[in-house]
Amino acid sequence: MPYEETMTPRERVMNALANLPVDRTPVSNPTNVATVELMDMVDAPFPDACRDPQLNAELAATGYTELGFDSIQPYFTIIQESSALGCEMQWEQKDNWPTVRMSNPIWKGEDDVVIPADFLEHRDMVSVTGAIEILKKQFGDEVAIIGKSMGPWTLAYHVFGVESFLLMTIDDPDMTMRIMDKLKEATVLFADAQIAAGADAICVPDHATGDLVSGEYYKRFLQDIHTEMAERIDAPLILHICGKTLDRMPYIAQTGMASFHFDSRNDPQEAMDAVDGGIGLVGNINNPQTLYSRGPDEVREEVYACLEAGVQMIAPECAIPLQTKLHNLLAIPDAVKDWSAERL
Amino acid sequence: MPIVHEGLAREFEYVTQEEERATILEQIEAGDALMQEMAYSLITGNHAAVDELTQKALGEDREANDVLDEGLIPGMAVVGVKFRDNLIFVPEVLIAARAMKAGMAHIDPILSASGVEPIGTAVFGTVKGDLHDIGKNLCIMMMRGAGFVVHDLGVDTKPDEFIEAADEKDADLVLMSALLTTTMPNMGRTIAEFEDMGLRDEYKFMTGGAPVTQEFSDDMGADGYGDNAISCVEKAKELIEIAKVASSG
Repeated sequence: MPYEETMTPRERVMNALANLPVDRTPVSNPTNVATVELMDMVDAPFPDACRDPQLNAELAATGYTELGFDSIQPYFTIIQESSALGCEMQWEQKDNWPTVRMSNPIWKGEDDVVIPADFLEHRDMVSVTGAIEILKKQFGDEVAIIGKSMGPWTLAYHVFGVESFLLMTIDDPDMTMRIMDKLKEATVLFADAQIAAGADAICVPDHATGDLVSGEYYKRFLQDIHTEMAERIDAPLILHICGKTLDRMPYIAQTGMASFHFDSRNDPQEAMDAVDGGIGLVGNINNPQTLYSRGPDEVREEVYACLEAGVQMIAPECAIPLQTKLHNLLAIPDAVKDWSAERL
Repeated sequence: MPIVHEGLAREFEYVTQEEERATILEQIEAGDALMQEMAYSLITGNHAAVDELTQKALGEDREANDVLDEGLIPGMAVVGVKFRDNLIFVPEVLIAARAMKAGMAHIDPILSASGVEPIGTAVFGTVKGDLHDIGKNLCIMMMRGAGFVVHDLGVDTKPDEFIEAADEKDADLVLMSALLTTTMPNMGRTIAEFEDMGLRDEYKFMTGGAPVTQEFSDDMGADGYGDNAISCVEKAKELIEIAKVASSG
């Protein structure tokens, strides 16, 4: 029997996020899939594509139109909100990611934490909400549009500086909690604005990674806040945390979020066991070695490992290196389709 | 003196590898109760106590090197082991590093004035496009403690900045750090620029950072890789020895 797809990409992604049956496992990177080759293809280079809704939409759409992924993600960086909060920015060039100059933090303590009244009107926020509106008009219900809203932990790195913030968690944990509470409102505000603009789901990167903090830290400072977000934000949420996260996956699985986007440093089967059905998983093709340095065969091998483990959506582990070759990205949906066909 | 400080004895139990236990124990036992109190205060991140104890020790006319080797270094070594073994994480390491810095503030000026020959000279930066520096800063602190002269190039270090600094500082080692999978390939590009300038063989290159692996480091063409601050120091020493043998041959 020939392999046949019966769902639209959007249906496929939304069903996977709702833990409902799918015709095949969707391919969807909740962070994004921008590369230099794609920028050249549609003449939408960084940093302009991060700051202009039209260019943003044009670059984001290539994830669907050129790569054949089942979703579009029109927020490429992790710094749009931080720019709107007043952080010092380094916008870089086409071949490099824009970043926050965290060595020059803007805030020192909880009294500094104020979300500006015009937060959502800042050009770097409108570049995302505006792009979502454009994409929704262009694609309707054909493909899933995934927004992104940074969580309070990541925002704290940007506004306080990573080192100062992590020291604060030990020196004054109560103040840290109060700051998390204040900053989460920025996450909810931006998520709601993207949903109003047409986003189908929201990725929430909140980098409480095992490379920096313990699983107990996640439980202590973030689990309740992420649970609250899942209750308040009216769309499926996909939590993204880089690095080793197995030790916190059981806590993440209890937040009520729809999915967790996990890193290649966690074995897919062990990750599935750790969440034990409490949350869906999306991931976890290795970026620097496999997608950047190796070829389609190695990509296929990792895709198959994820599928065999039962990972619900297949994706690179994070935003990809900008010089990643397209043939390696194209190998992801190809491998998923082949795997599905082989199992008919 | 054997370990008499109860807290330090408890902390030392986290060091389980035989060779590491022997090395750290030798350092601790070379000191006395004051040094043990200092090591324990450092491990627990009590920077005020380390500051006070260091001043006290130096005020008793102890050698700065002894205070470093018998108090601060074994304390930081235990922290490094606990970090590597996932018993503690970066916040706990940062408070220990803050304590180490409090002690080094008194020791550094004395050592600098003494004119001791360094083990080697390194330039160390986070690669282009990456603004993360916690891991790099910890490695630099450990390397300086071990006797290296390390020039900190900061974050977002472009290949030409590495090349310029390595030449200007007459470095033996070029160390690169990255936290992001998206910026890791810039390690390879940096080495390639040294190659393009005909300078690849002038230096030994090392890589490190949370997502960096030995395999990736090899792919990028580096000579060495440090999985954590302790192995960074060990690998740096090893590469310096290799360089010495090569230059003497």
